[in-house]
Amino acid sequence: MTPDQTMTQPVGTGRNPQVLSGSVVLDLSRWVVGEYATRFFGDLGSDVIKVEKPGEGSYTRHWGPFPEDVPDPEASALFLHLNTNKRSAALDLKDRDDRALLFKLVERADAVVESFRPGRLEELGLGPTTLQQCNPRLVVTRISPFGQDGPYRDYAATGLTLQAMGGPMHSTGDAHRAPLRKPGFLEWYAIGGVAAEATMAGLFQARRSGAGSIIDLSEHEVLLSGADRRAAHLLAAEYSGSDAPRGYPSAHRGGASFNGKFPAKDGLVLLYITTPAFWNRLVRLVSGDDAQFREKYLDHWDLGDDQEEFSEYLRKWFGQRCKADIMEIGQNARIPLTAFLSVNEVYEHPHFRERGAFVWGDHPRAGRLEYLSGPWRMDRGYELRMTAPLLGQHTDEIRAEVEGRSESC
Amino acid sequence: MTGPLDGIRVVDLTVAWSGPGATALLGDLGAEVIRVEGNDRPSRQVSASLTKEAVRNSWQGATFPDRDPGARPYDRYAVFNWHARNKLSVCMNLDTPEGHAAALKLLQISDVFVENNARGTLEKLGLGHNELLELNPRLIVARMPPLGMSGPMSDYLGYGPNFNALVGISAIDGYEGEGPESAGDNNHMDEVSPASLAFSVIAALWDRERTGQGGLIEFSQAENLMQNMGEAYLDWQMNRRLPPIRGNSDAHFLQDVFPAKEDDRWVAISIRDDRDWQGLKSVIGDAPWLADGDDAELRAANSVELRRALSEWTQSRSSDEIVLALQARGVPAGEVMSESRLLADEHLRARQWFRERTHPSVGTHRYPGWPWRASGLDLAYGRPLPGFGEDNEYVYKALLGYSDDEYESLRERSLVTDAQLA
Repeated sequence: MTPDQTMTQPVGTGRNPQVLSGSVVLDLSRWVVGEYATRFFGDLGSDVIKVEKPGEGSYTRHWGPFPEDVPDPEASALFLHLNTNKRSAALDLKDRDDRALLFKLVERADAVVESFRPGRLEELGLGPTTLQQCNPRLVVTRISPFGQDGPYRDYAATGLTLQAMGGPMHSTGDAHRAPLRKPGFLEWYAIGGVAAEATMAGLFQARRSGAGSIIDLSEHEVLLSGADRRAAHLLAAEYSGSDAPRGYPSAHRGGASFNGKFPAKDGLVLLYITTPAFWNRLVRLVSGDDAQFREKYLDHWDLGDDQEEFSEYLRKWFGQRCKADIMEIGQNARIPLTAFLSVNEVYEHPHFRERGAFVWGDHPRAGRLEYLSGPWRMDRGYELRMTAPLLGQHTDEIRAEVEGRSESC
Repeated sequence: MTGPLDGIRVVDLTVAWSGPGATALLGDLGAEVIRVEGNDRPSRQVSASLTKEAVRNSWQGATFPDRDPGARPYDRYAVFNWHARNKLSVCMNLDTPEGHAAALKLLQISDVFVENNARGTLEKLGLGHNELLELNPRLIVARMPPLGMSGPMSDYLGYGPNFNALVGISAIDGYEGEGPESAGDNNHMDEVSPASLAFSVIAALWDRERTGQGGLIEFSQAENLMQNMGEAYLDWQMNRRLPPIRGNSDAHFLQDVFPAKEDDRWVAISIRDDRDWQGLKSVIGDAPWLADGDDAELRAANSVELRRALSEWTQSRSSDEIVLALQARGVPAGEVMSESRLLADEHLRARQWFRERTHPSVGTHRYPGWPWRASGLDLAYGRPLPGFGEDNEYVYKALLGYSDDEYESLRERSLVTDAQLA
């Protein structure tokens, strides 16, 4: 099924109410973590207001990629992906009138999410205690590289250095080369998800107790608690005194392990055998009519000297077939075997198309594009109500909404 | 002060990492998380008969205290225990009528049910979500099938690396200038499923206060993973372009992972802008090659040579020296940390991030701490793990109202044990 044939979903026909309708979140962040976190709220119906610096806006507006590589802060793919379902107010945090408007927003907000360096909010006279004097139920989520205190509090950080210091990088990659980071923005997305969960916990608590909270989220500690090997390896080292080996593949592998990337006729496949049952299914599959091979290798996962012969046989079998066929045949035989797909192949894949994993949205500058639908399927759940806002697009509208309200803060 | 989810009961039928990671987050918030575990299977991904001898030469040995699985390997496995904090354990063999009945009774008085088993597992066990929601309309059933509950690939089997391959992560993973074959393994799907799932559960609990209704949350882990490359889907549509493999380098920064003087110690360094470059220069001092990086254009043009020269410099310094000197000038630098280095880290000690806890099955150890903390909100860090079946009496008698006789009958028939038998 090609993109043109998919069901289109008109943007902006928001059902009311969604799961989080009625809640209000202020997004003061400028990078992937805070923007992804607050997008979760918008996805489920929150009124998310992105507060951006006039004329400049979020860093992700300037990161790209851009259509035809022409920089345009209104057409950055990163910004467009991270900021659906949000409105934008361009406010100068040092301007008296803009600050007054900000405090009116704070007054009616459930949460403020920020990722300035520790201390910056206080310098601006917008510290959490000030904000909570205005709104005692407010949740203030503070995202920083190493937390609001501690010896590394003021350390500079990038995705790479955070992966190095916090993530499972030490045992990722080749054992005999430099440790290898996870690609793209993976670490930022991981941290953003946790920031969303923390903020939602704060909202839930505030509704119960009437009191807000100040969340100290250290990006470093999020990665250290990570389900991808990090927390498990830390506890193992504490238990046994042994570090995880460099280039170590996985702690899940048991005795009957065999895995690897194999070239197919048109790309790669990934085989991940962890049990005798999987092993024997693999042997039966690739041996076909070759009874001799089958007899030799059934139950023989402890390959020893036969490692090379078996691998060569496997390489030949994979090399003769297309990756999609290999995956289908392999999965029919109940073997953990998947093709390497690239983004365009995933984008066009019938499985994701049938599931409605993409939704069309119209954007005044970037045009008509398909966005990833939210990962949760639930009643009153995900909707693409609006594509990402232009910088300051909703400032006037928001100002009018709070006008006439008496000032209490 | 109570936790946000105090009084919320979660039934936990999760396996491996993604599901238990999610329920651990709910437990941190004060929910009562009850793991339902069968004694007729490796409910914690480890066999009861695993011996010290069997793991003597593998890294799996290193996942047990003193490299010894001991008499209760399933209580001592770090690969499980990292996500076990605050949880309870009740023994129920769901493929028996007794276990099935007990599970239904428990789900009837619970608020949340989380599972991440293969598609269709719940239905095979007679615990399909439609039946459960009829039984308890306030129940929130959170299901985490890797590829969703419908669609041509929804029955596909795979581990973390399989899904990385399937949704395009592996296609951009590898060393700079090389293909995907050069990459190592990672389980990023496990990394990002827990928080996204926990978020939706709390949001559903929030909504339930208004509607009085629970409901189903279908969470496709692979689709969640796709979100982590969302910008690439837009780039494809805009420019018909796929992301390249960059390894440790970056399109915007001058960065890489460099060897320090010590054997197999590495330092990650990123030069974001001219300011970072000047900081680097002030640390390195006088060196002719530094002139080749004085602005962003030069750094981009001379990236390979500059990094080679920097690597020679880093190899003459200790990792601590490099990091301290660069951070003193605001330049992002950090060692690629092994576990032992982290266990001794002064920042984490000051933050009191590790938590020392004791349990009879393992003794006293430090455990990884919470992913975040807060003032005005109480997080839980009680027992470090539940022993297998440790809470049988509490669940069967106090929660489910089984009489002493009924409970004893189950124990006599080994349907309820405080040891895993398989």
